[in-house]
This record gives sequence, C-alpha cells and structure tokens, in this order.
Amino acid sequence: MYLELTKIEKGFPGVRSLDGVDFSVRGGEVHALVGENGAGKSTLMKVLSGIYLPDAGSIHLDGELRQWRAPADAIAAGIHVIHQELMLFPERSVAENIFLTNPPRTRFGLIDTSAMVERAASILERLGHEIDPRTKVRKLSVADQQMVEIAKALSADARLLVLDEPTAVISGREAELLFDRVERLRKDGVGIVYISHRLEEIFRLSDRITVLKDGKLVATVDTKDVDRDKLVAMMVGRELADIYPPPRKFSGVGKPVLSVRNLKSAPRVKDVSFDLFPGEILGLGGLVGAGRSEVAHTVFGSEASEGGTVELAGDTYHHRTPSVSIQAGIGFVTEDRKGEGVMMLMDCARNISAPDLGSFSEHGFLDSPREEAVAKEEIARFRIAIPGPRYMVRNLSGGNQQKVLLARWSRACHRVLILDEPTRGVDVGAKVEIYKFIRELADSGVAILMISSELNELVGMSDRIVVMREGRTMGTLEKTEISEAAVMQLATAETGKEGRAT
Amino acid sequence: MSHTSSAASPRRLLSPATGLPIALLVLLAIAGFIQPSFLSARNLQDILTQAAPLCIVVIGQTFVILVRGLDLSVASVMATVAVIATAFNTTDNAVLPQIIALSLLLALVVGTINGYLVVKRNVSPFLATLAMMTVLQGVRFYYTQGAPGGSLPSALRFLGTGQVAGVPVNLLVVLGVLAIAAILLSRTTLGRKIYIVGGNPRSAELVGINAGRVTIFCYVTSAVLAALSGLVLVGFVGSVDNWVGRGYELDSIVAAVIGGIALTGGRGSPINSVLGAIILMLTFNFVVIVGLPVQAQFVIKGLVIIAAAALFRRMPA
Amino acid sequence: MNGAKSFRAISNPPLAIASVALLVLIVTGFVMSERFGTFRNFTNLLEQAAPLGVLALGQMLVVLAGGIDLSIGAIVTACAVAVAALCDLYPELAPLILVGTMFLGAALGAINGVIINRTGVHPLIVTLGTSSAISGVVLLYTMRPVGGVPIWLEDAAYGATLGLPNVAIIMILAFALVGLALRKTATGHALYAVGGNASAATAVGLSVSRLTLLAYSASGFFAALAGIYFASRTGTGDPRVGDAMTLASITPVVVGGTVLGGGVGTAMGTFVGVALVSVLGNVLNYMNVSTFAQWVVQGIVILAAVSIYVDRSRKL
Repeated sequence: MYLELTKIEKGFPGVRSLDGVDFSVRGGEVHALVGENGAGKSTLMKVLSGIYLPDAGSIHLDGELRQWRAPADAIAAGIHVIHQELMLFPERSVAENIFLTNPPRTRFGLIDTSAMVERAASILERLGHEIDPRTKVRKLSVADQQMVEIAKALSADARLLVLDEPTAVISGREAELLFDRVERLRKDGVGIVYISHRLEEIFRLSDRITVLKDGKLVATVDTKDVDRDKLVAMMVGRELADIYPPPRKFSGVGKPVLSVRNLKSAPRVKDVSFDLFPGEILGLGGLVGAGRSEVAHTVFGSEASEGGTVELAGDTYHHRTPSVSIQAGIGFVTEDRKGEGVMMLMDCARNISAPDLGSFSEHGFLDSPREEAVAKEEIARFRIAIPGPRYMVRNLSGGNQQKVLLARWSRACHRVLILDEPTRGVDVGAKVEIYKFIRELADSGVAILMISSELNELVGMSDRIVVMREGRTMGTLEKTEISEAAVMQLATAETGKEGRAT
Repeated sequence: MSHTSSAASPRRLLSPATGLPIALLVLLAIAGFIQPSFLSARNLQDILTQAAPLCIVVIGQTFVILVRGLDLSVASVMATVAVIATAFNTTDNAVLPQIIALSLLLALVVGTINGYLVVKRNVSPFLATLAMMTVLQGVRFYYTQGAPGGSLPSALRFLGTGQVAGVPVNLLVVLGVLAIAAILLSRTTLGRKIYIVGGNPRSAELVGINAGRVTIFCYVTSAVLAALSGLVLVGFVGSVDNWVGRGYELDSIVAAVIGGIALTGGRGSPINSVLGAIILMLTFNFVVIVGLPVQAQFVIKGLVIIAAAALFRRMPA
Repeated sequence: MNGAKSFRAISNPPLAIASVALLVLIVTGFVMSERFGTFRNFTNLLEQAAPLGVLALGQMLVVLAGGIDLSIGAIVTACAVAVAALCDLYPELAPLILVGTMFLGAALGAINGVIINRTGVHPLIVTLGTSSAISGVVLLYTMRPVGGVPIWLEDAAYGATLGLPNVAIIMILAFALVGLALRKTATGHALYAVGGNASAATAVGLSVSRLTLLAYSASGFFAALAGIYFASRTGTGDPRVGDAMTLASITPVVVGGTVLGGGVGTAMGTFVGVALVSVLGNVLNYMNVSTFAQWVVQGIVILAAVSIYVDRSRKL
C-alpha cells in the first residue's frame, strides 16, 4: 500500500488551508503529522479521506491516480479515519456499531446476528481486548469506545488508518494498549497516520514525521534524524524558551486561600488534598482520567461532593454551588470552551457580563451602555481581536474565545481562578499572550489552579504542581523539584506510595 | 494576529426583523388590491381583535420556546378557564375575584407541574405538556359532564368586546402584555438569564444561573398568559363550549415559528412572535377576502408555516 | 413469548415495565368482570386496536429515525375520503383504487420527507404544515362524509379468518414484518443509526435523507391502511375521521419504550404499548369509568411512562 498526495491545495472563503502540500504513507509505516492548531492537519486528512475535494493537486494510491467523490470512495479503498470525536451510536451494541454498513448475512439476505457477534469478538481479540460485543456502546469507557472505532476500520480491511489525537481522551495503561495495537497493525502491513501534540509519543511510535505550518509543508523527516527541540522549532518557528513568562520565585508561605482535604466525589475523585496560596500558579497534573476536572467542578460546586472539606480563607465552605462560589470570588474556566464555556448565541459583551449580571443592573434592569463600556475595556486589556463588543463570539478564533472567557472570569472573581486546559485548541501566538495574562493575574494576587495535560505547559507555567493519579493526590512538587519527569513519575506511580500535599 | 475561524457561521436567508414587516405589508397590499375595503380601519380592527387571544398565548409560548421547551397545554388551560368563568352562571361581577383567583391558581399549578416535569424529571416538553393537556381535558369534561354552559360576568364581556376611547380593550391587553414581555426579555436580568439558559443550560449553570428556576418561570408564564387569553376569548365569544380554544396550542407554535423563533432555544422575541400571529390571522382572513372557500385557509396556513420556517432558519455551517 | 424474546424484554427495562403493567391490567380485567376474559372481548379488542396499531407502527418508524409525524391523522383522512369517493364513482375499479390509495398515503408521507430533507426545517413544523394543508384540501373537496365502498370490502373489514378479525391479522402481520426488518435488515439497523446520531451516520456513509424519506413514506403508507379501514367500516369517507388519530398514535409509541429523540425502540415495545392503551380503555370501560376520567388516566399513563424511561438525547 502506498498513498501519495501531491501538491494539494485547498481554500475556503478568506483562508487558504493547504498550500501545495505533499504527503505520503507506506503500508507498515507509522507517519506522524504535527503542527500547531490551524496548520492544516485536519484539512489534509479530510482531503485524504474524501470529505473534501482538493482545489488542486493529486492523489495516487499504489501508483494509480484516484479521486474521492465522497467519503464512501475512500472507505472502499481501505482508508479509515478515527476522528477525535468518536462517530459511534451509543444505544447500539458494539457488534452493531462495527458491522453497521456491512453486516454478515444469512442465506435469505437477512442479517446473521450470531455471526456478527462472533466476528466482532474475533476482531476485538485481534486487538487484544475483551469487550462483550453485545454491550451497548454508551456503557463503555472512552478508551474502549476508541477500540470499537478501530475495530470498525479493521472489519472493513483497512489498509490505511488515520488516528487523530487518539491520546487526547485516554492515557496511562489505556494509551499503552493503544500503542501496542498500533504496533500490531503496523506489523500487519497497515499504514498509519498519527496526529498528535504529544511529542513523546511521536518519537516513540513514528518512522517519519511531517510538519505543517500555516497550510504549508515545512518538512518531512525521518524520526531518527530529528530531536525534540528541532521539531518544536520547525512547528513553532521560535525557541521554546520564549513561550513561557519568566517563573516567579515562590514558596508556599502565608495562609492558603483554598484548602482542600480528603475531597471525595463520585465517580472519579477519591481522596484529594491540596492548598492553594494567593498569587501562585498551582498546576494540577495527572493523566487523562485522573479526575482533575472533576476536582475543579467539585470545588466550584458544579458537581456534588460526597466527603472531605474545603476551606476558603480559613472558613469552611460547604454547600457549594456555582452561584455561591462566584459570589465568594472563585471563577472557573472550564475545559469545554465551545460546549460549556462560550455562549455561542451571544455577543462579546454579554459573554463577559454573564456571571456578574448583578453589577450591571439596578433594580433588575440591565445597564447596556455600561456592559458595553466594560467589554471594551476588557477587549483592550486582553487584546481580543474583535471589531467591537457587540460582535458574536462564535466567529472568533479559539484563542480569542479563550481570552473572552479569561476576561469574563477574571473580572468577576478575584480570589481564585480555576483554569482547565486554558490553551487547548489555541494557536501559538495566542498561547503566549494567554500565558502572560495568567502570570499577570497571579502577580496581582489571584490564586490560580491550572489543569493542563500538556506537560510542557504545566512545567513551564506552574510555581508548584500537585499531581493526581486515579482520583488521589500523589504528591506536591515544589519549584525546585518540578520537571516533566517528576510529574510523570507521580502521575504513573503505584498507589501504594502515596504522598500527601503539605 | 486577528484571524477568525474558517468555519462559516450559520447565516439566515432572511432575518425576521426585515422579513416580517415586509411579509405583513405585502399581504396587506395584495388584499387591499383585491378588496379595498379590507384595508378599512374597521376591518383591520376586527382582524386584530380576532387575533388578540392568539397574540397573548403566543407571547407565553415564546417564553417557553426560548428555554428550549414547548407548551402544548395552553389550549386546555384556555378552555378550563372558560369553564371556570361560566361556572358561576351569573353576569354579576361580584364573582370576578373568585374567577380570577381560580384561574390564576390553575395557571400556577399547571405551569409549575409542567416546569417541574421538564426540569426535575427530565421529561420531554412535548410529552409533558401533551400529558397535561390530556389530564386537564379529562378534568374539565368530568366537571361539566360534557355540557358546559352558563353566563359570564359582564366585566369579562367588556374585556372581550368592550372599548376604551375607541380602542378595543382586548387590543389594549395585548399591547400591555407585549410591552411587559418585551421589556422583561430585553432589558432585565431575568430576561437575560432566560436567553442564556435557552442558549445553553449547562453554560448557564456554570455562570451561577439557576437554570431550573428560570425554566419553571417560563412555563408558569405561559400558563398564566394562556389563562388570561382564555378569559379574553370567553369574554369575546360570550359563551363556552367543549372545545373552546382548540388548536391554539399548535397555532401558537406556528405563529412563533413564523415570527422567526428557533425551536432549539435562545433566539426569538415576543414582538416578532406577535407579528407572526398577526400574519397567521391575516392569512385566514385573506382567504375569505380573496373569495376562496373557508377551508382553503388550512391549505394556506400549511404552506405559510413551512415557507416561513424555511426562510428564517439558520443554515448549518 | 419464547425464550429469546423474554430475554430481550428483561434486558430492556421500558419493555419489561410496560409488559408488567399490561399483565397487571389483564389480571385486573379478569377480576373486574367476567365478560373481560371472553374470546369475544379479546377479538373485539384486537379489532379496535388494529387501526391504532398500524398508525403507531408508522409513527414509531418516524420517531426511530429522529423525527415525528404530526400529519398522520390528515393522511388517514385523505385516504379514507379518497377510497370512499373513488369507489363510489368507479366501484368496479375498487381493487385498483385500494392499491392506488396506499400509494397516495406513501406519496403524502414522502412529501413530508422531501420537505424535511430539502429545507432542514424541524419535522414538528413540517408535519404540522402538511397536516394543515392536507386537511384543507380534503375539506375543500367535502365537508361531510361522502362516497361508498363495495360490499365485499365492508364484509372484509368486518370479517374474520380462522376466528381472528381480518384487520387484526393485518396488524399483527405488519408488526411482525416491521419487527423483522428492524432487527434483521441493514436498512433497519441504518434507521436506528440515523435516529441515534445523524452526523455519525453520514460519516459512515449512510444516506440520512434516503432513510428519512423511507420512514415518512412508511408512516404515510400505514396511515393509508388505517384510512382504508375506516372507510370500509363506515362505508363512507369522513373528512374528520383522522382528527384525533395523530396524538393518539404517539402514546403507544412512547409507552412502548421508543424514545422521542430517536435511535431507541422496538416493534415489540410498540405492540405492547398499543395493547396497554387498548386494554386500559377496555378495563376502564368495564369498570364504568367515564370517557372523561379515562382521559385523565391516559395523561397520567403518558407521564408515568416518560418519567421512567430516560431520554438521553432529548431532541424534542
């Protein structure tokens, strides 16, 4: 199997997504595709899989010129994409999901249910996984659901598999299993395109790496010929050192503004303890699924807690609800910007004023001019690229949307700011700005709890780091102890050796 | 460094703000052309008066649709209120306070139950309000044993048919309710909360808004306005029958959709909904004016619904 | 029920609950009145339930695909009037007219599907619109019952084969075929997919528009069957016959465990739902509960059903 894309061009109104990109994959190779958000990776994959028709350029499969008129054509040719957003049917069984478009049939043309279950079982076994094929997909963990997606591709004899950020939703043991499967598939002669931000994985799995930037091909290199710094420099175009603001010398002195002890909340939070001091950036690290976001929601009050205590500036803080937390000065920029954070139907000013309507109203009536004026200030302060406060937020880029959220919460809440993946899906330029703002906020006295799955970011930004594993805090790293290796060690340590935060 | 995301934002083919007045004017123009007397003040006033109960109900329906719901129980509420109004069988206004109190109580109970089912029991609004409609129907028929009747207090007749300084009272009621609703939705924190909840209930919770309370408020408002509309309608007609108000639940949804509301929530305005109701009423009258048989109004109504929804919907990105 | 089917019921909570409720009702019926347990009552019940049954079947297919059909009643009416009027004019062409009416129903349903596909307007609104338009057209033709049907058709509608009413046999056949199709054909599985997650369905190459069209056409077809039935029973086409049918077709579907959001539900469940609603009415009649009180009970039954079943997608 040899797939070659040559000089692919693809544009949309106002944007040139792909500008003369070359890309090829061989059977039995793992080819990594890297680049910042907006670099064109996802567009390239959509062209490869038939979702988009390229404006110019050609696709050759095994030497023959091919054209995909619809995704079905690419699928028929053996090209399967496993998207980040899983395309499964939650109320249907695993077997039904796998064989939806091509089920085994009996003599009379009807679907042979037992054969379907059997075949599904054997494919799953080939992947080294034991899930009962009759289980409804919604009952599976995300990692298992991902397995079902891969099984779907295998059932149709995939020759090329595109994995789009597969470890965005799994980590630890499950990620290991995934890597294991990737190896097996590679040995079977399947070609694999692996898209990820996790450079450790790229170096571990891939044979070649292609770097895209702003729609153009930067380079395609053999993995062994390049190292981490060189790769980042190609992706980003600048030195790593410039990205994070200079660290502050901080030691956990004074009284904590937030004290969490033995926090418990079903199903993921089992025993979490830490202190948060004013003016510091406390990183909350751990693998995906460790329960970090759940801790944030429990402290904020948007999830119920089942045990443990939270103290806010020395006073016990029970019966938490978002409304009470906001009043108390705690703000929360959640993980899911588009689904939960930004109000897509509203303009910038309304998004900013949302948690604090009280301060914009008198006797229940809103003061629109004031809302606008405040929004203008925040737009200037956070350098949000938007024509004016009454423009719709949904038209903004990810980075600008994130800035709107930062403006919203930092305005309304001055004691504690919880940030969950603050730069996910944000381009590098905006990232640098956001890091700067976060540091400024901390310097002004706000206590910041920052959750991040990007080790680099966590290590670069935090003054101290608390690490969680499977619902428990495993230890705290002081400034001098912080390193990516130290975090990973605690994040993957055996549960027997737990350390508590002091 | 300003770059917007490449995904196109959903655009409408036509915005209700421009489309509705145009549609209204076009309808009036055509009708006036065919039958000049259509545009007489008398006729227009008649049409508006006929439309009054629907306008009141559609304002309530707007609240509910804004928070991603539907209220199919409004017609039943109207009918039950009509039964209450005639239950005392007297034209003496002394019973007015009882009628108003009972109607209000009914509305509060119905609205709260509807809201509770949707919010706390996670029942689909369609089914919850459908069930409520059926239950109310049963209760009302049981009470009247299928034979409602009786006289109304004269004050209600005045409400439905009277005039103040030459302006029909029911129109004044519509204007009053519309003014309050419009101001509440566009100028107050409660109104803002309604739009936020309708846009995304989860986001609303995360900014400290009690989405459940806001939603229940909308269902109660719808029930209360349905009750008010019932009083106006029975006042207008002067008597009650088994099926008074029938069809108002679906017509109010249709009117709101013609007015450009989004069934997905978070978008819409009471003024546009009322315009939608008036346009709907106009099409009914239009049919008669143009000389088509009365039944044709159903055909036209069907076409208008689909056309309006198609024109005002947002195209997917 | 054979072994495999009982297992299915147990693994499907809504169906299990509805089945238990049905059993309770049947027992109550036996206790309440000795006339309840007779074969006569059983066949009467089946006969009365038949039109509701096929309508619920059609509605279920539409709901499974993620939509809703509020025009069912209007299509029933249109077909009833068409059959009666045409048979009156051309009695010798009756068989052809019957077939033609079935096509008419399917075509009207297809119109719903086409409008939904092309305009992207919510099915609730589209079918409301077509319902109004179709009723209007029928009313323009006639405001009162018209036409007539051949004697043999009337006889067939009232008749029985092997002890069971003909119409009941048709209903049971319909349920069996649809149930089989849903469980054992690729199209059936695809229907669940479209209702469960339309974007994923497109991503795997299914044609959402084709399946939507199919579902609404099927619903129209079943509405035609019901319309033919009503015309045959009464001997005329009544332009008001379908008025209450639309909302009536929804209750059994919901009670039987089909979720309004789509993607979940079974033919068996809908059958139990139809049985439940019919037996409930029957038992209440024997208990001398007035029609009015029965409405109250109906409303409560709907509420009980949906409070118990969880709709995770909540599209309506």
